[in-house]
This record gives sequence, structure tokens and C-alpha cells, in this order.
Amino acid sequence: MNLRMKLLVVPCAALSFAGGVALATSPESKAEPLPKHVLPASKDGNLVLGLCDGETSMEVQGVKDGQRLTRAQAITATAQLMDDWRKKNPDANWDDVPGPVLAQAAPPTTKKSPTPAPQPNPGSKPSGNDVRQGGVGAETGAKAVPQQQKANLQTGHTYGAYSERDEQVWADSVQAAVKEGHRVFHDADALGGTVGVSCDMCHPDAANTHPETYPKYQVQLGRVALLRDMINWCIENPVRGKPLADGDPKMRAMEAYIYAQRKGVKLEYGKH
Amino acid sequence: MRLPSGVVTMLAVVLNSGAGLAAPPPSQSANATPPQLPPGVSATLWRLSVPKGMEPTPERVALGEKLFREKRLSVDNTVACMTCHEPELGFTDGKPLSEGVKQQKVARNSPTVLNALFNATQFWDGRAATLEDQAKLPILNPREMGMPDPDTVMKKVRGIPEYVTDFQKVFGREPNFDDLAVAIAAFERMQFSGDARFDKFITGDSKALTASEKNGWALFNGKARCNSCHAGNAVSPLFSDQKFHNIGVAAHKQDFVTLARKGVQVVRTGDEKQIDELALNSEFSELGRFLVTKQENDVGSFKTPILRNVGITGPYMHDGSLTTLWDVMDHYNKGGVANPYLDGGMQRLGLTEPEIDDLVAFLFTLTDTKFDKLNKEQLAKQRARKNTRPERDNAIALGKKGNLGDLAPNPDLNVKNPADLGFYGDVTPVTNTKQR
Repeated sequence: MNLRMKLLVVPCAALSFAGGVALATSPESKAEPLPKHVLPASKDGNLVLGLCDGETSMEVQGVKDGQRLTRAQAITATAQLMDDWRKKNPDANWDDVPGPVLAQAAPPTTKKSPTPAPQPNPGSKPSGNDVRQGGVGAETGAKAVPQQQKANLQTGHTYGAYSERDEQVWADSVQAAVKEGHRVFHDADALGGTVGVSCDMCHPDAANTHPETYPKYQVQLGRVALLRDMINWCIENPVRGKPLADGDPKMRAMEAYIYAQRKGVKLEYGKH
Repeated sequence: MRLPSGVVTMLAVVLNSGAGLAAPPPSQSANATPPQLPPGVSATLWRLSVPKGMEPTPERVALGEKLFREKRLSVDNTVACMTCHEPELGFTDGKPLSEGVKQQKVARNSPTVLNALFNATQFWDGRAATLEDQAKLPILNPREMGMPDPDTVMKKVRGIPEYVTDFQKVFGREPNFDDLAVAIAAFERMQFSGDARFDKFITGDSKALTASEKNGWALFNGKARCNSCHAGNAVSPLFSDQKFHNIGVAAHKQDFVTLARKGVQVVRTGDEKQIDELALNSEFSELGRFLVTKQENDVGSFKTPILRNVGITGPYMHDGSLTTLWDVMDHYNKGGVANPYLDGGMQRLGLTEPEIDDLVAFLFTLTDTKFDKLNKEQLAKQRARKNTRPERDNAIALGKKGNLGDLAPNPDLNVKNPADLGFYGDVTPVTNTKQR
């Protein structure tokens, strides 16, 4: 099959920053539209995929433009694209993600498995300490906080006083956000993608997303970008979806997941 | 993520319920997994709140329910748990202050049993750590069920043949006071409640709430500052921080400052009185959490109640002194009632009348749909009192009088709904495999 590329103008939907939810962001006048990756068209009407560098693209044999790839096809195709990128950029640093597939929020340090509540003898009145081990009492955490902070914080009310139970609830709440981000990151439909490509295909386990380097100048965008801007660039171009609004729960969840995957990495804004 | 369907896996675990149980009862089984939880009830909280070995079993729950409805547990056979915690009324009695035996008024408004299993502590002042501990105290309280001591209670129960059989069947031994509390607590642990209209909304059905209710949700998280103590998310969907705050309710009573001084003095001079007795003394019981912790900071502070089903569990506050949610909004709007121990987070809110209406409308969406009829009745009843507003002080609320701080910004929903900051989360929360 002859592979001669002919340049076509890819119809671009006007950028809508309205996002996927009914959240209106403030109608800022956008200084100029973001650059887009214009993909060459295939002579045979095959689907052409773009890479996130805004330059590299590739034709997928046997899939017509407008069709969706199956997950297996998409993984194969994106793997090829990534190979191309690596050949082009032999010196580029590939940031791999060590550790588990899904980041885990650190469990509370003072974990003790709660013992069943002591059963007082029949007839005994409740005595001095009526809070079970690991349970919540007024003093729970309250005394330790001013000691740690060497500050004269008030105890008794809630500010700065928290309990093991609170920490568990917080850790699980954060984990829920990270988990949701993990889902979106791995799901072309959730990203609003139209070709079956999802983030994890080029960034397995959020590798090479280096969130700790934002804000930084992004060449593809031609401006200083935050992590969310780059996420949107990827959603618009390789994934071929609509960009998400700042407040979109999906965007927030993805940021949560990507940051969680880089726990412990030193912050280095502007690093390339 | 879906919870495992209806069938609850029963693990044959020999229970070891700690001290007080002489020998493990025969063939006990406990649910290692929570029962099927409706949306708006958190599996994570279940895991955190139900002590190991205290998971409800069908037999215990059935016995617990029987005991919950049993008037013979009171001294003159007139009062049962359900007298003040009527299941039909959302496990409350609808009275400002509850009444025990011989029509005695107690010092507290009866809190709902719904979702009480998720409370970090029990009672308005948190003086009991578990449902088991809590269940015993009203039976022995002279103003509530009036029994003189546990032995008398158990003599009476052992004199009722059906209970002897029941306890033998469930616990494998003679009825005793601890087992009685365990059974009642097991019944209470099945009284979780979610499935409100709000849960439909938060899972993506934006039509589930009206425009006014949505505005109420925004105000709740924004200008009205409710979420500083009543924050909720999918992991902890209670809308309560489970902490204790002085919001000035006790200061309605004129002698509060003198009383607080007296109370602090009594404790400082080391007069060791039993907490429960002090809490009974209606004068001192107004000191709230202070009687438990003996910390001056806790004078007049009471537990942040869970807001689920709040529409049907009025009147409000520990003493039932606020009749409607409009009164509650008025109370907060003027920054509570000034007193030396007022919580530092209290300030005027500057809410306008339409905003208060929206907030109340939102609060009524937190009621379990199985109480829909009651919820509508209560809303109509409260709305009828909308013009009786003893707590209202617009001069302070709107900053024309006094100096109670700046206001939180008025949310412009066209720009940003404060409720969208942060994640509420998926209502079927993460069940991670962390060992408890």
C-alpha cells in the first residue's frame, strides 16, 4: 500500500473553554487561541494519530478516519508513536514512576487497631476515661498540636485538634479523588476522546508527566503553562476531546492522581 | 465501584467481645462486611465506627429492636427507648425537651438514632464512647427510665420468660445488662440512613434539586460558612465534624456566665461528682462538654449534630430551644449569642431573607426519601412559623450594630459555585484494604 501523505486541513472545532460541566468559567478574553497540532491526512482515508509533541503523527492501517480504535489497537498504535518520539529525542529524560500502580495516601502514623470497648461491670458508673482506645475524645490530638507547633493554640474546640478517625476519613477522601483520577486517566470515554486514546497509553502509571516541574514554558503551547493546561493540550490533541474547564471534577481528579504518583519528588518549577 | 449485592457474607467467627463476657457464646457469627448500604452512607465510616466483634447479626438486631420498644425496662412500665426515639418520627419525639417517667422533663432534646452509629461519641456532650455504653444510661437515669440500678433491671428482665429464651438463643446465657446493651446497639447499628434527594443531585442528577436548593448548597459551602463544622463528603457524608462547639445556645439563659464560673470553680476545687449526675442537674448540664473534659475551653459546648434528616428531627439544639430551621439560621446569622466561651469561628453572616430561605430549602433535601411525607409536613409546619422569629437580629447580622467581623463573599453562581471546590467524591466510597 502506498503511503503518500497529502496535507489536508483538519477541521478544528473552535476552542470552547466551557468545559464538560455546567460550570461557567469567567469569560476571560483569550489573548490568542492555543496552537493546535495539525495532522497530515492519510491518502487512504486512514485514521491519523498525533503525538503530544505537536509534531509527530502516524497513520493507523486498517482503521478509517472517524472510526474509534479498540483499546488494544490504541495501545499498539500509541506504543509505536512513543517509539518514534524516543528515536527523535534520544537524550530526553524519561521520568518513570516507581512503585505501585495506584498511589496510596500515607496511613496515619499512630495506627492501632481499635480494641472492642471495655465493658464496665454491671452497676459501675462511667468512670474517668470514657473514650475507647483510638476513639475521639476532647483531648484527642489537641494537646499534641500546640506542643508540636510551640504555639499557644486553644484546645477544646476544634482548630488544630484532630483525631485518628479524622485522619482516616481524610486519607480515604484523598484516596477517593486519586482513584477517580486514575479512572479518568485510563478511560478514553471519560476523557471525551473520539479516537480511543487515553492518557495512560503514552504515560503508563502517569510516567513522564513530571507535575513537579510546572509552571514551566511549554513549547507546544508557546507560553507558560500549569499542569492543567498541559492536561488539556493532551486531551485536545492526541486524545481528540474537548478541553476541560478548570473546575471540572475530572480535571481536578486527574491532577490529584498525577501528583499522587509523584509523591516525594522534589518540586522544581520551570525544569525541562 | 459496586458494593457486593444483597447477600451478606457470613463469616463464622467466634466472637470475643472483650471483658465482661465470661465464655464465648455458642456458634456466634458476625458480618465481616457491612450490610448493603444505600447511597449517602459510607462504607469507610462503617469500617471506622463499628467495633470489631460488634457487627450486628440478625438475631441480635431482632432482640435489640424488641428491647428498644420495651416499656418494661422503665421503673413504672411507661417509657421505652422509642418513647423519645420514635422510629416513625425519624427516631425523635418532636418535643423541645424529652419527657421520662412521671412526666419529668429531662435537660436535653432527644437526638435521632438515625446514623448515630457513625458518631465518634454518644450524647450531646459526648460522655459515652460507644452505643453500648450509651444504651445503659437512659435506663438508669432517674428522669428518663428511672431504674435504680442494673440489678433491678435484670431481675425484671429475667422475670419475663420470653426474654430468658431470647437471650439464651442469642447470647447463650442468662440475660445480663451488658448483653442487653449489645443487643440494643446492634439494632441501632442498622439505623443508617442516606438515600436523600441530595444524594441523587451529588451523583450527577442536577434536576434532583431546585434552583433555590442548589443556591442553598452553594451558600452552605460559601457565605453561610456552615461547612466549617458541617462539612461532608462521600467518605464522611454526615455533615458533622463530630467535635464540640460553644455557639452560644446555653447563653440564652441569663445566668450562664455565673453558672459557668460556678462550674469551673466546682471542678477546680476538685469536687469529684459523677458526670452523669452533674449532667442531670439541669442547671449544670448546660455546661455541656466541660463536664466531661474539665477543660474551661469546653464550657457550654455541645456536639455538632449530623445534618442528615435534619428537617424531620426538630426542634433544634441540645435544649430544643430553636423551633424551626429558620430560627437556627437566625441564630447563626447574628453570630450566635455572645459569651466568654463562644467558639472562635462564630461571626455574623449577613444572610438576607431569600438566602435564609434557600439554605432551609437545601437542608430539607438531606432527608431520607422514606420519610418524604413527614419531611413535607415538617417543611409546611416550619414555613407556617416563618414570621415568628424570636432569634432574628438583622441589625447585627447585616453589620448595622456591633462589630462582628467581615462577611464571607457572596457566591456568584455564574462564576463559581463554592460547592464545586473540592471533591464530594463518588457516593460508593473507596474501600481500601487497610486493616483496621
